[in-house]
Amino acid sequence: MSIRLGSTGERSLGDFSERRARIGLVIGSGGIKCTAAAGMLKVLEREKIPVDVAVGCSGGAIYSALYALGDSAAEIERQTMVLWKDLFSKLHYRSLLRAIAPMFMGYHEQVGMVDDRQVWKVLEALFGERTFADTKIPLLQSATDFRTGEKVVLDSGRITDATRASIAIPMLLRAWEVDGRMLVDGGASNPLPIDVAIREGCDIILAMGFESQMNADIRSLVNALGRTSTIVTNHLLRATFAFYSVAHHAEVLPIMPVLDRHIGLTETQHIPYLIEQGERAAEEQMPYLRRLLQASMAGPLPTPGL
Amino acid sequence: MSRAGNGIALVIGSGGVKCAAAIGLQRCLARESINIDLVVGCSGGSIYAAAIALGKNAEEAAALSTALWTRDVTAQPDRAALMRMLFPKLLGFTERFGLKKDHVVWERLMTAFGELTFADCKIPLFITATDFRTGEQVTISEGRIADAVRASIAIPFAFAPWEVNGRLCIDGFLSDPLPVGVAIREGAQVIIAMGFESPYQERVTSGGRFAFQLSSIMTNNLLKASFAFHGLAHHSEVIAVIPQFSQRIRLFDTGKIPLLIDEGDAAMGEQLPYLRRLLAAVPA
Repeated sequence: MSIRLGSTGERSLGDFSERRARIGLVIGSGGIKCTAAAGMLKVLEREKIPVDVAVGCSGGAIYSALYALGDSAAEIERQTMVLWKDLFSKLHYRSLLRAIAPMFMGYHEQVGMVDDRQVWKVLEALFGERTFADTKIPLLQSATDFRTGEKVVLDSGRITDATRASIAIPMLLRAWEVDGRMLVDGGASNPLPIDVAIREGCDIILAMGFESQMNADIRSLVNALGRTSTIVTNHLLRATFAFYSVAHHAEVLPIMPVLDRHIGLTETQHIPYLIEQGERAAEEQMPYLRRLLQASMAGPLPTPGL
Repeated sequence: MSRAGNGIALVIGSGGVKCAAAIGLQRCLARESINIDLVVGCSGGSIYAAAIALGKNAEEAAALSTALWTRDVTAQPDRAALMRMLFPKLLGFTERFGLKKDHVVWERLMTAFGELTFADCKIPLFITATDFRTGEQVTISEGRIADAVRASIAIPFAFAPWEVNGRLCIDGFLSDPLPVGVAIREGAQVIIAMGFESPYQERVTSGGRFAFQLSSIMTNNLLKASFAFHGLAHHSEVIAVIPQFSQRIRLFDTGKIPLLIDEGDAAMGEQLPYLRRLLAAVPA
């Protein structure tokens, strides 16, 4: 007979693995800043933290998928150093023209500035034909329905498809159709999808999120667009995080790397710094996480009061 | 049924011309002799918040909004700004960018509010905007009302940001489309929050519509998340009044203002029994 968390106060050494708290890992959107996840995963591996569910959004979807598939932290770090160099390297010129002159070229909902074949190639190299059924722990990726604005959770089918939908940064990458729905970046509806881990019944949620940095100067329309979307995204991140922290009946541990510089999507030279900051931010939460885990083995976690 | 202190707060969120539904809400409360003790407005909602705080009745507020919201407010593109957008390096693109000519909207606001300040209000008024440099929510509660409203309605790319008390401000919806948090901080016991979701595009056929669609997606999700948090965090009651319009309302559908007012009245009417129960429970 297995005793599940919260059922009784009985203790049996052999049941510890069954009785411990269910841990969810959520990696939010943040473009290249998501490479910090590689640093966090090193810490989780070193500390032997038993993660039960992996959730990812946008750039974070790549890392949650690699982790759920069972790749080692060292392997993920190695892949990080290559993958971001290739991801956004080629521009899609026809789309560029379409965006500038819709009258002549015919505007299409499917607009994106980056060459899709290149992005697809990178994702295929990472995930190939593997599906959600191939993961070692449950994996859930989030995206946004471009027609209705709703949050969408993907947990079946090819990981390459789901990841491609989750990272469809508006304007840069075209929307991606999955199961008949036109999907864009999960960050547009929910930059740090803690709610998905809550619904999966997690007691402790490690939430790695990223605030977007404001660009220093506005010298073009693109700069101005970037700043307005940064403002809304950051407020969306804070509002959802505040809500889930209050609403969730267990613990949400924020892992939010503090960065001392503005890092653009293609500035891959900052990756080692980002990985280091991710590692540092994760380490800071370890003493508290260990205490929580020990407490959960001794009995059900106390429910924080509202 | 007046209450001492900051009993009942009314928060009017962003929503363009749809915010005129607040006039109906005000009419409904006046009919029931329920007084509002404090009012908060964001973006289009700031116009009606100001009208209510200045003691204008529903008819006066309706007249004011028909005079304010006319097509020529946005009909005049600023050609110099357009050129700066196309040739940013050559002509110099700055953060004070706006595609529409500023003087029309400013003249309208001056006609409506003139030199009136927050000190002229009958009940406390708070208008929210967003600091364009830091992204923070800005709550304006002093100075000229026209300045505060102009900052609050500075729709990105349409109207240039506006400087208020030394801060460069843009539209309040970017930080919180329904700023219930301001009413909470001011100690309101019962908060009536009128909010509006942005409409989605039927078809995305241009870059501009793509941007609108994206902005609707993000701000609607922000509206839900921030409302969910404030509803949970607040220690008293937040009554949501979200009118369901029977027709699609566009940003400058001013002809539909009478309809909007009626629907706002009806939406408030639905919440009246609950509001009455609350008021009976809250000590005066």
